[in-house]
Amino acid sequence: MALVSGPGRGGMDSMPAEMRLFVDKHVRYIQSLDSRKDELEYWLTEHLRLNGLYWGLTALHLLGHPDALPRHELLEFVFSCLHENGGFGAAPGHDAHMLYTVSGVQILATLDAFDELEKRVPGGRMKTGQYIADLQDPETGTFAGDEWGERDTRFLYGALNALSLMGLLHLVNVDKAVDHIQTCANFDGGYGTSPGAESHSGQIFTCLAALSIAGRLDLVEQDKLGAWLSERQLKNGGLNGRPEKKEDVCYSWWVATSLAMLKKLHWIDGAKLTAFILQCQDPELGGLADRPGDMVDVFHTVFGIAGLSLLQYPGLAEVDPVYCMPRAVTARCLSRQW
Amino acid sequence: MASHGVSRVIGTNIRSAEVRQKEIEQIAAYKNLVDLVNTKITERKYTIEVLGLVTKLLNENPEYYTIWNHRRRVLGGLFDVPPTGGSPTQTPHGEELINGELQLTFALLRKFPKCYWIWNHRNWVLRKGESLSDTEAARKLWSGELQLIGKMLHADSRNFHAWSYRREVVAYLERTPASISSSTSPILSQSLAESEYEYTTKMIKTNLSNFSAWHSRAKLIPRLLNERGADNAARKQLLDSELALICTAINTDPFDQSIWYYHQFLMSTLSPECSRQNQIVLGLSNMDRQKYYAHEIEYIHEIIEDEADCKWIYVALLHLATSYLEIDGGTNAFTTVDMRSWLEQLKRLDPLRRGRWAELGSSLNI
Repeated sequence: MALVSGPGRGGMDSMPAEMRLFVDKHVRYIQSLDSRKDELEYWLTEHLRLNGLYWGLTALHLLGHPDALPRHELLEFVFSCLHENGGFGAAPGHDAHMLYTVSGVQILATLDAFDELEKRVPGGRMKTGQYIADLQDPETGTFAGDEWGERDTRFLYGALNALSLMGLLHLVNVDKAVDHIQTCANFDGGYGTSPGAESHSGQIFTCLAALSIAGRLDLVEQDKLGAWLSERQLKNGGLNGRPEKKEDVCYSWWVATSLAMLKKLHWIDGAKLTAFILQCQDPELGGLADRPGDMVDVFHTVFGIAGLSLLQYPGLAEVDPVYCMPRAVTARCLSRQW
Repeated sequence: MASHGVSRVIGTNIRSAEVRQKEIEQIAAYKNLVDLVNTKITERKYTIEVLGLVTKLLNENPEYYTIWNHRRRVLGGLFDVPPTGGSPTQTPHGEELINGELQLTFALLRKFPKCYWIWNHRNWVLRKGESLSDTEAARKLWSGELQLIGKMLHADSRNFHAWSYRREVVAYLERTPASISSSTSPILSQSLAESEYEYTTKMIKTNLSNFSAWHSRAKLIPRLLNERGADNAARKQLLDSELALICTAINTDPFDQSIWYYHQFLMSTLSPECSRQNQIVLGLSNMDRQKYYAHEIEYIHEIIEDEADCKWIYVALLHLATSYLEIDGGTNAFTTVDMRSWLEQLKRLDPLRRGRWAELGSSLNI
């Protein structure tokens, strides 16, 4: 596959071997994911399919290969997951849920395909927005994942993410959502899944990103939280999710981007983190793993690459710290007059 | 699609014909079961037999969230069927179902302790049980949960699903007071703050590095004090005993960050900025604060003798010095030269965060 030319692209080839990102191998790895139907694992992970598409597509965009997956087939699949009520399921026949609805919206945004949604389902954007809005708990301001009622700051973030991309933030009570996030704040400056829960980097990402969308980062104890986040970096350069836990590539995104939102990414060693992420590549078959030498998967692949983009690894497209999507895509969606 | 800690084995992509054939058969069997369950649900066949099929499928794939939804649809149908025999208020049929669900989710949680959907289903089952049985029976059901959580936390003392679930169970037990006698029971306050506080002590004594337990403890203390109706002497006594506990922990392993975060928490309750509800000792004067800060500075400073290369010591010293200066304490306990040397140690010992230390230096103006 031809390399896309871009700033710094030439520089990547002249990097020392251990600093090289195997772009072509990762592209081929992502392309191969849907051809593994003879593996049981493919069927056992069907409940992640739409998330997987978002992860793979985002990774490809950041790698500078936005067209490596066929657009038409992608859209066919996304629409096959859409329910009458406006929510998306993980795959055809799977129930609608916030987690997949957000992925569905993110894919449509990345492919610039909201007009196609309208063509297929008149008023489709509003239906999806309403599906999300109806999951807000009017009492507490938080969001449920679906009709069965599990509540978590992940869902709250997902709601604000997807609604803002569709220009529909006014459908929900943003102030109440912000109040709820504040009830999840802890003495260490971090946030948990719900009030009382321990701080966790994944949850901190969701809360900071939600507050960013709401324009309320002023409510964060920035120095305290920045300090806590910076202590996630371990000697090998990798980041963990909580004190005294092991490093994992996915935190290269959640921790680093939280620091980026607080404008404190320089509080950790970017070069060491870059080296750690690159060590997690499978140099033969492509993809990234949680730790060096482990099995790769598309989840760690996108979060590793997004981390590298945040660290300005040469040749990668710029990632939006709040959305984990290409900056060019979020800029287009957020400035659109609907 | 999101694997953790599974080693990559070179050549695993090359499978023998026999292995491939076996996998193809497994896939066919799995897909047949999925299709069968989906068909039965579409037909609204909410029967014990279909529940069995759903169990089989969830044992193969507990992450398949739609199947958990199907399970609740089937259970909803079964709960509505009037029990055969027995009095209608007892709903033995419902209780049997609930027990079956508790057993299934327990077995699955032992194998998949971090699967959100299993925890979520168990929560739903308990709530369902609450609406089906009388208060006493429901309370018994929920009390049993504390044992399950104990087992889960014994296997992994940092499992945040288990800790969250523990908080939910405790909240339930607290809002559903046990009746002394069923007819004339006054509503008694049933706070479990004391026993939960004891539980964190137990967990910390097993493993000082358990930040989940320290976190819980920090959340419990303000409640505990309010419920004890503690006067200021009692409050001070509690703060002092917490400080003694954490200082012993610091001495045991000064490289463990979870311990230092708890120390930071205790110190933050002294700050004039601390909201009244989070204060441990009320109505502190700046003189009191100074004494606490100076005492901690002295204690921590002593550890340098044995552990001069432990960066957490210098983080804490700078933190305390800043708090001391904020209340206009002067520098009787330390000098600007001391602060500068602590910062230099941090730069030397902790180059990963050199950007942070540089910024700290300029903000402290030292």
